[in-house]
Formats: sequence, structure tokens, C-alpha cells
Amino acid sequence: MSESGPPDPLARFGERLDRARSGQAREERTPGADSAMGSALGFGLRIGIELVAALVVGVALGWVADHFLGTRPWGLILFFFLGSAAGMMNAYRAMTRLGYGGAPPRPKP
Amino acid sequence: MAVESRPLEQFTIERIIPIHIGSLDISYTNSALLMTIAVVLITALLVLATSRAALVPGRLQSIAELAYEFVANMVRDNVGTEGFEYFPLVFSIFMFVLFGNLLGMIPYSFTFTSHIVVTFALALAVFALVTIVAFVKHGVRFFTFFFPSGAPVVMAPILVPIEILSYLSRPVSLGIRLFANMMAGHSMMAVFAAFTVALGLFGFLPLAINVALFALEIVVTVLQAYVFTILTCLYLRDAIHLH
Repeated sequence: MSESGPPDPLARFGERLDRARSGQAREERTPGADSAMGSALGFGLRIGIELVAALVVGVALGWVADHFLGTRPWGLILFFFLGSAAGMMNAYRAMTRLGYGGAPPRPKP
Repeated sequence: MAVESRPLEQFTIERIIPIHIGSLDISYTNSALLMTIAVVLITALLVLATSRAALVPGRLQSIAELAYEFVANMVRDNVGTEGFEYFPLVFSIFMFVLFGNLLGMIPYSFTFTSHIVVTFALALAVFALVTIVAFVKHGVRFFTFFFPSGAPVVMAPILVPIEILSYLSRPVSLGIRLFANMMAGHSMMAVFAAFTVALGLFGFLPLAINVALFALEIVVTVLQAYVFTILTCLYLRDAIHLH
């Protein structure tokens, strides 16, 4: 084992690794048409579910409140509108990818 | 030739070992069996992959490392470095949902994520955890969550109920999304499979569609596991950073 040998292969290794990795990243950035369609479909479905889920929760809450308070149609009506508003808010947040409290998007660390 | 087509039959729960305690039915079902298989497989994969850890990873170790790095990056990008406290949980959720989805793709097996009970329970667990984390980290300040900063105080009577509803709808949308995707995909494949049998000679047409659907369904299974996990991460970020 001679220590005097030039550490050439290892010194260039990082460089080669970086080059290989950047090539890989470039490949990953061009998704096929299939996956683009699949993700668009998934995104659409996600927004749809986001819209409906809040409405379902709102109507359920209104119905339960009516059942216990005896205010038959009014709780349902009120919570229907609140639920649809919450659903739209959810959909908006899902689209803009903002956080819950309407905070500005955090810069990625 | 009449072929009875029941595309929803595949979702039937069957009791393998019936266990009844009083009026409570806690039988070991096919759903529970698949969950056990998923947990055993995940544990086996990770234990085997890390038992002979090499600098240059083999196939198994590569799979485990890819899964780890994938979830680790997700946590780092979406929650931040503080989120690594919850990494074991996020990783477990991801692997459990992923394996549940993928095991369901094996013919004659059973997809436990196609049952809303399972997905909703998972979503409720995430929801409860996120709420507890927010309470522990912020105490009473948690309630400022329900009022967007910068909004006029006059709007509070309208905004606060909407925000609370929006918050409560999170486990519902989280649970329904996974359940609906798995159930819809699997029923669709069963419908086309029934067409294949019913059409006889021309059955190759729905068969071709089914081959394409199967590929799409595999994409959906992985994507839904990813979506479930990333939403968990986003909820955790909201709980940790609040505003």
C-alpha cells in the first residue's frame, strides 16, 4: 500500500456522481403523457372530494343539531350553506396549496 | 348464456375465525388477514433489508432505502426538519396503505383499503394525532387556527364556523378519497372482466381495456398511498407551525 499514489479516482468521484445525478433529474422532469393524465384525473377527483366532504360534514352536523335542539329545518339549512362555503374554501386551499390558516406559502428549506 | 355479474362481490367481508364476545363481533376476517400479511411483509422487508446492510445496496436494501428516502424527503419538504419526530408514524402509514393497496391488486386477494371503515379509521387516527400535537405545541393558541389572520373581526361569526367545518371535514375527505379510489378502480375492473366472459369470442376487447385498467390501477394504488401520506404531512405542518 503506497500512500503517495494520487487520489485521482476518488477525487473525481463526486464530480462524476453529480453529473450522473443531474442526468437522472433531467430524465425525471419529463413525465409521460399517461402519468400527466393520471395525475390530472387524480387532482380533479381530489378537488371534487374536497368540495363534497365539507358539505357532508356540514349537513350531518346540521341534521344532528336539529335532532337534539328541535329546530327542524333551520339547522340543516344554515349548516348546508356553511358546509358548502367550507367546501369551497377547502377546494381553494387544495388548489393554491396554501396552509390551513391562509398563511403565505412557506419558502422551502 | 347469462353470466351473473356482481362487481361488488369482491368486497365481501368473510369471517375466517369467528370470535364473538357478548354481542361484539371481533372475528378474524379476510380484511384482518390481509392487514396481518401487509404488516408481516413490511416488517420482513425492512428487517431483511437492513440485516445485511452493505455500502453498495442489493435489491432488497435498495427497495427499503428508496422507500425511506422517499418518505424522508416528503417529510422534509412538507413539514420541515421539526417533522422528523413524526417520521416513524408517517413512514408506517405510507407503507401500510401502499402494501394494502398493492396486495389488493393480486387476483383473488382482498383490498382492505377499499373499505371506508378502514380508511376512515386511519384518517381519524391522523386527525386525532394532528389535533393533539397542535394542542400540546400551542395550547390555547390552537383556537386562533379557526380565525384567519388579517381578517376583520366583524367577519368572525361567519368565518369561524366555516373554518371549524373545514377543519372537521379533513378526516372525511382523507378517508373517502382513498376508499373511493380503491373501490371505484376495483369495481371497474370487475365489470370489464364480466364483459369479457359475457361477450365470448369478442371478449378480447374488454380484456384489452382491462389490461390497460390494471396498469392504471397500479398507478392509482401507489398515487393514493402517496396522497394519503402527503396530506398527513401537510396537516402535521399546519399543526406544528399553526400560522
